[in-house]
Amino acid sequence: MEHRKIDYSFIKSKEDWDRFLKSEGLYDYEKIRVKRAKVKGWVRFAFWFLRAYVTLMVVIIALGFLHIL
Amino acid sequence: MVELADVKFDVEKALEQLPQDIRLRAVDRLRIKSERLKRTGMSKFLLAIALIGPGIIVMIADNDAGGVITYAQSGSIFGLGFFLPFMLLMIPVAYIVQEMTVRLAAVTRRGHAEMIWKRYGRGWGIFSLADLVIANSLTLVTEFIGISFGLGIFGIQPVYAVTFGLLFVVGITLGLRYHRWERVSLVIAAFNLIFIPLAFIVHPNPNTVLQAFATWKIPGGVNSFFIYVLLANIGTTIAPWMLFFQQSSEVDKGITPQDIGASRRDTLIGAFIMAAVAISIIVITGWLVHGYTTANNSYDIQLILNVIGQKVGKLPVELFAIGLIDAGLIAAIAITASTSWAVGEAFGWPRSINLPFMKSRKFYAPGLISLVIAAAIVMIPNLPLSFLNITVQVIASIFMPAAMLFLLLLVNDPEVVGKYRNRAWQNVSSIVIMGVLITMSTLYAISLIIPNLFG
Repeated sequence: MEHRKIDYSFIKSKEDWDRFLKSEGLYDYEKIRVKRAKVKGWVRFAFWFLRAYVTLMVVIIALGFLHIL
Repeated sequence: MVELADVKFDVEKALEQLPQDIRLRAVDRLRIKSERLKRTGMSKFLLAIALIGPGIIVMIADNDAGGVITYAQSGSIFGLGFFLPFMLLMIPVAYIVQEMTVRLAAVTRRGHAEMIWKRYGRGWGIFSLADLVIANSLTLVTEFIGISFGLGIFGIQPVYAVTFGLLFVVGITLGLRYHRWERVSLVIAAFNLIFIPLAFIVHPNPNTVLQAFATWKIPGGVNSFFIYVLLANIGTTIAPWMLFFQQSSEVDKGITPQDIGASRRDTLIGAFIMAAVAISIIVITGWLVHGYTTANNSYDIQLILNVIGQKVGKLPVELFAIGLIDAGLIAAIAITASTSWAVGEAFGWPRSINLPFMKSRKFYAPGLISLVIAAAIVMIPNLPLSFLNITVQVIASIFMPAAMLFLLLLVNDPEVVGKYRNRAWQNVSSIVIMGVLITMSTLYAISLIIPNLFG
């Protein structure tokens, strides 16, 4: 496919080009802000679960490594 | 240079006005759009070929050097039993997890690290990034060990083998822009399939193999050693870096919501290949090595290859070694890219393999630094390999549920993915997979403290 001629006859004008860029999402996304998520409901619960899980695992594994060493 | 047709609007001039990473992505997308509009049999075929890539690469790279050794040991220890059908079970598991990254990438056009960082804050962003970078760096060490061991079969000294591996990965990463990088990676990944014909070359009894799929037999029953090997197999099938790699790779490829179907097929094909390779390795060692008595049931890869050599000769050993070298190389290429993408996304740096090194040294630096450090670590004499392996698995065990939770949150967030959010069956299956991962990881962590917990 690399060497096949690109048929861009579908781009006839600046408007077509802009439409192509838009449909393909060819932007610098760093310039588009991502809104921070509102942590509420079950998401808040999931985060507390994750904190508890990570803390528990770190403690167990620290003890495990002390055991190995 | 791409040959362009002569029309009124100067597309080439318009392309030149885009930043380099977006320009090269635009050329790739023009190529895809052009084929999509033709609607001929040939163009449909070319389109399908153009849209494969990240899914197959991530799944094959998942059968990395550590994975090949784990499958070989599973076959050697447990024979043609439980682990053959178990690998079939890993196809939907790997697909369900990785497919979510496809939708996220197509809709958000942002990588996993960036989405965690920006959507859930700096704290979770740093946690995820630190885990990923540490786990990736340690995993790279295991890739170099595999490359060095594989080349050692051909009489190449470890120092030359590691240098070759380092230069190869650096060359691919810095020398190719995304489209070519992806195509070359696919070619390298294809060598991983060498294990499939090898499984036929060793002439296993087809009835014994088929019986294993029907019975799910666990030789010796469930004990702590079986759980340890089971965890190692799960750990090598679903690794945190895979989520980050595929999402970033799909973004760099420039896939759009229109390409989700093709990218899903790419991921599914990859999942089947991954399982076929894993099953082949287990068949080879389960047929040839299982039953060979060793002290403490300990099968290192050297012993496994020695037994294969004794039973079927030098050629299968060399083919196995080529597969092992390839597994290390393709994984090192993917993991290096995954580190660079994630760090670039977290810190908002330009982040694309479409950028040349001289224009984006910050982007390439994290991946290359971790690669060089890993290569240097492998050179240390008497490296504590088992401790290193435990550390990789421990970090992954803490990180994987967290990475999956962020994936689930993002892919259920209507503000992020809109109509592409998870359906009920996808959430149920993802939560089951996550539950199994958390349970197994916790059991593994506990088994570090109480080694004889399961008898």
